Amino acid sequence: MRPEELRGDMTRFVSRALLLPSLVTAAAILVKGYAQPGDGFSAGVVASLGVLLQYMAFGEEEASRLLPLPPAGLLCFGGLLLALALAAFPLLFGQPPLTHYPPPGEEPVHLGTLELITAVAFDTGIFLLVFGFSVGVMRLISGAREEGEG
Amino acid sequence: MLGLLAAPAAAAAGAWRPRAAAPAGTLFAALAFAAALAASLAARGEGVVLPWAPSLGASFAVKMDGLAALYSLLATGIGLVVLVYSAGYLPLHLEHQGRPASEGVGFYFFVLLFMGSMVGLAMAQDLILIFLFWDLTAIASYYLIGYDRHREESRASAMMSLLVTGITAVLLLVGALLLYASHGTFSVPELAGRVEPGALLASAGLLVLLAAFAKSAQAPFHFWLPRAMAAPTPVSAYLHSAAMVAAGVLLVGRLYPILAQSEALLAVMSAVGLLSMGLGGVLALTRDTLKQLLAYSTVAQYGYVVFMYGLGGRYGAAGAAFYVIAHALAKSALFLSAGAVTEATGEDRLSRLGGLWSKMPLLAASSGLAAAGLAALPLTIGFFKDEFFFAAALERGALFGGLAVLSASVTLAYTWRFWSGIFLGRPAAEPGRVAGKLVWPVVLLGALVLFGGLLPGPFAALAGAAAASSLGEPAGAVQVAYHLDARPENLLALAAYALGAAIVVSRPAWEPAARLFARAGEAAGPERAYRVGLRLLNLLSDRGHELEVRDLRGRIAGILLPAGVLVGLGLLATPTVGVFRFGEVGADDLPLLIALAAAAGAALATCLTVRHLTLALVISSAGFSVALVYGFLGAPDVALVAVLVETILTLLLLATMRLIPPGVLRRGARISARQARLKAAVAVVAGMFALAVSWSTFSQPAIQRGAYERLIALTPEAHGKDVVTVTLADFRGLDTLGEITVVALALLGVATLLARGRLP
Repeated sequence: MRPEELRGDMTRFVSRALLLPSLVTAAAILVKGYAQPGDGFSAGVVASLGVLLQYMAFGEEEASRLLPLPPAGLLCFGGLLLALALAAFPLLFGQPPLTHYPPPGEEPVHLGTLELITAVAFDTGIFLLVFGFSVGVMRLISGAREEGEG
Repeated sequence: MLGLLAAPAAAAAGAWRPRAAAPAGTLFAALAFAAALAASLAARGEGVVLPWAPSLGASFAVKMDGLAALYSLLATGIGLVVLVYSAGYLPLHLEHQGRPASEGVGFYFFVLLFMGSMVGLAMAQDLILIFLFWDLTAIASYYLIGYDRHREESRASAMMSLLVTGITAVLLLVGALLLYASHGTFSVPELAGRVEPGALLASAGLLVLLAAFAKSAQAPFHFWLPRAMAAPTPVSAYLHSAAMVAAGVLLVGRLYPILAQSEALLAVMSAVGLLSMGLGGVLALTRDTLKQLLAYSTVAQYGYVVFMYGLGGRYGAAGAAFYVIAHALAKSALFLSAGAVTEATGEDRLSRLGGLWSKMPLLAASSGLAAAGLAALPLTIGFFKDEFFFAAALERGALFGGLAVLSASVTLAYTWRFWSGIFLGRPAAEPGRVAGKLVWPVVLLGALVLFGGLLPGPFAALAGAAAASSLGEPAGAVQVAYHLDARPENLLALAAYALGAAIVVSRPAWEPAARLFARAGEAAGPERAYRVGLRLLNLLSDRGHELEVRDLRGRIAGILLPAGVLVGLGLLATPTVGVFRFGEVGADDLPLLIALAAAAGAALATCLTVRHLTLALVISSAGFSVALVYGFLGAPDVALVAVLVETILTLLLLATMRLIPPGVLRRGARISARQARLKAAVAVVAGMFALAVSWSTFSQPAIQRGAYERLIALTPEAHGKDVVTVTLADFRGLDTLGEITVVALALLGVATLLARGRLP
C-alpha cells in the first residue's frame, strides 16, 4: 500500500481525534511525572508521536498548515538551553549545579494537586528537547526522501 | 593580570587595522612591565586566593613573591624588547615569504599570550593553576614555532615541541595529583609544610622534575629546542631567555621547598644538569648555524641552573635565580643580534660569515658585551653568575669545582666561536642596511649586561628575593662584589678562562671527536627514539582506524570482542561455587514467565529473519516484551519509559531504512553459509557469557543493591515517587545534562547529513 492510499478519510479522522488526547496525556505525564510514572522524556515521546501521526495522515505540508509548530531545531536547542540554565542557576548562589528547590524536607508550593518544584522545569527542558529531536529527525528524513524521489 | 589582557587587546587592535597590532601590543607589554615592576617593588607577600573548584581543592591562588617578581619582570621586560624588535623584524620576515601583513596579528596575539601565561605561571601558587598556565605556554609556543606554517620543517618542529612538553606536562599533573592524594592540597606553600621524605615524594617529585626538564630542554629531552629554531628569531630569543624554557626552571624554583626535601631528587637534578651542560656544550662547539649553536648553548646554560638547584646549599637557589637573569639578558641579546646579522646578510651559517666588525660596529660591540656576559668575563653581570656557580660547586667539594671549571671553559669557547665567527676574521658576506629597530634592542640588552656587571646590586636583590621564596625562608642577603684577591672563586674563574682559551686554540685537535659525538647522537640519540616512537604510534593508530571504520561489523566486533574476552577472563578468575543459584518460582510468576518467553521468542526470531523491515519489527517486539516484564515486576515507571523508547526507536529505524535504496538493503541481507555459521558460533558464545554474568549477578544481588536502594529510599525526599524521573532530573542530573546535549548534537548531525546542516 502506498502512503497516499493510507491517507483515507478514516485515517485522517482518527489521527485528528488522537492529537489532542496525546498532547494532553503528554502534558499530564510531564507535570505529574514526579508523583506518578512519567517524565519529560516520556512526555516528549508521546507528544511527538501524536504530531507524527498528523504528518503521516495528512502529509507534511498539510499537517504543518493545520498544526503550526515552531521549528524543531528551535524547540530542541531551546530545551537544551532551558535545562542548562536551570542547571547553572544555583551556581549564582554558590550551590552545586542542579540544586533543586525547594530542598528536601520543605513543603513545595501546591497548585491544586500540582507540586511546583524546579525539577519539573528541568524536565520541561528535556521534554522540549526530546519533542524537537523526534519531530525534527522525522521531518529531515521525510524531506530527504522527497528530495531523493523528486 | 595586565599581561593576560594584553593578548586580546593586541588581537582586537590587529583586527581593526593590521598595522595597529604591533604598537598596541608593545604598549600593553610596556604597561605590563610597569605593573610587574610596581608590584614587585610594592606589595610583598600579599596573595590572592579565589577558590574556583573548592570541591576539587583547586583554587586560583596567585602571589607576587620574589620568584614571581623575577620571572614576571623577565617575561614582560624581555617581552617588551622582543616586541619592539619584532615590529622591525616581522614585516621584513613576512615580505620575504610573500605573506600579507595581516598575518602578523596572530603573531602578536600569541607572543602576548605567551607573556601573559608566563606571568601567570610565575605568580601561581596552586599546582593545578601552574599546570593550566604551563599548558598555555605550550600552546602559545606551538603556534609561534610553527609560525611559518607553509614550511614542513616548521610544522614538524612545532609538533615536536608540543608533544615533548605536552606529554611530560601530563606527568606534572600526575605528580600534582599524587601529592594531592596523600596531603590533601594543591597549594604549594601548604604542601611544602606537609611533605616528608619518602617514596611518595620521590616519585611525585620525579614526575614533576621530568616535566620541568622537558620544558627546560634538559637531557634527554633537549632535542626539541634546536628544532624549535624554525621559529622566527624574536620568538627564539623570547623562548630561550624568558618564556618557554625558563618555565622549566621556574617550576623547579617554585617547587624547590618540596623537591629539596628529598636527597634523591637533588641528586637527579645535579646529574641531569651536569649531563645537559656537557651535552649542550659539546654540541654547541660543533654547530655551524647561528641559531643552532645558541640553542645548544641554552641547553647547557639551563643545565647550569638545574645543576645549581641540585647542589643546594647556601648558594644554590640564589645562584640559580641570578643565573637565570644574567642568561636571559645575554642570550636574548645574542639571538636578536643573530637575527639582525641574518637579516642584513642573508646568511645564517658561521662558515659563511665573518669580518662584520667594521661594517656593523654598534651591533658588534653590544653583542660582544652580551657574549662576554655569557662567557662570564669581569665587568659584566655574567661574572657574578659564574661566581655563584663556583661557590655553589665548591661547597660540595673539589670534584664539583673541577666540573664547574670545565663547563665554564666550554661556555667561553663556544661563545667566542659565535662572536668571533660573525664579527672577526675575513669579511665573507656583504651586509645590507639594517633597520634601527633590529639593533637598538640589542644595544639596550648589551648595556644592561654591562650595567649588571658594574652595579649588580638590584639584580642580586631580585635573585635574593627569588631564592627566599624558593627556600621558604629569607636567604641571607645575597652579596656580590668584586674581590681582588686570591679567593677560590676568582682562581676558578681564571682557570676557566685559561682552559677556555686553550679549547679555542686547540680546535683542530678535538673537533673530529666532537663531530663524531654529534653524529652518534643523531644516529642513536633521544631524537631518533622520538621519531621511531612517533612512527610506531602513527602505525598503531592507522591500524586501529582501518579496523574500526572499514565496516560496521568490524567496529562492533572491535568493541564486543575485547569486552567479551575481559568478561570471560573475569569469569574464569572468580570462584564459582555457590554463585549460580535458582530462586523460588511460584504460580504468581506465570505472567512474568510468559512475558519472558515472548521476549526470548522474539530474540530467537531475529536470528532467522532476513528482511530488514521484518528484522526491525521483530527486534522492537523483543523490546516490548521486555517492557512487559518490567510491568509484571512492578516497575511501571521503568515499563513506561521502555515502551516509549521502543516505539520511537522502531519508528526511527523504519524511517531510516526507507532512506536506503532497497537493492542495497537486499544485498546487505545476503550472507554466505560460512559467514552464517561463524555468526551463529559468535552469538552462542556471547550469549553464554551474558547468561553466566547475569545469572551470577541475580544469584547474589546483595553486593550492588546498596546504591539502588539508597536512591529509591531518597526519592520521597526529592518530592517524587517516580524513581526514574527523580534519578534523571535530580540524583543524576548532571549525567542527564550531558546526555541531552548529545541528543541535541545528534539532531545537528542528522541535519548535516540529510539537509546540508539546515535545521528543520
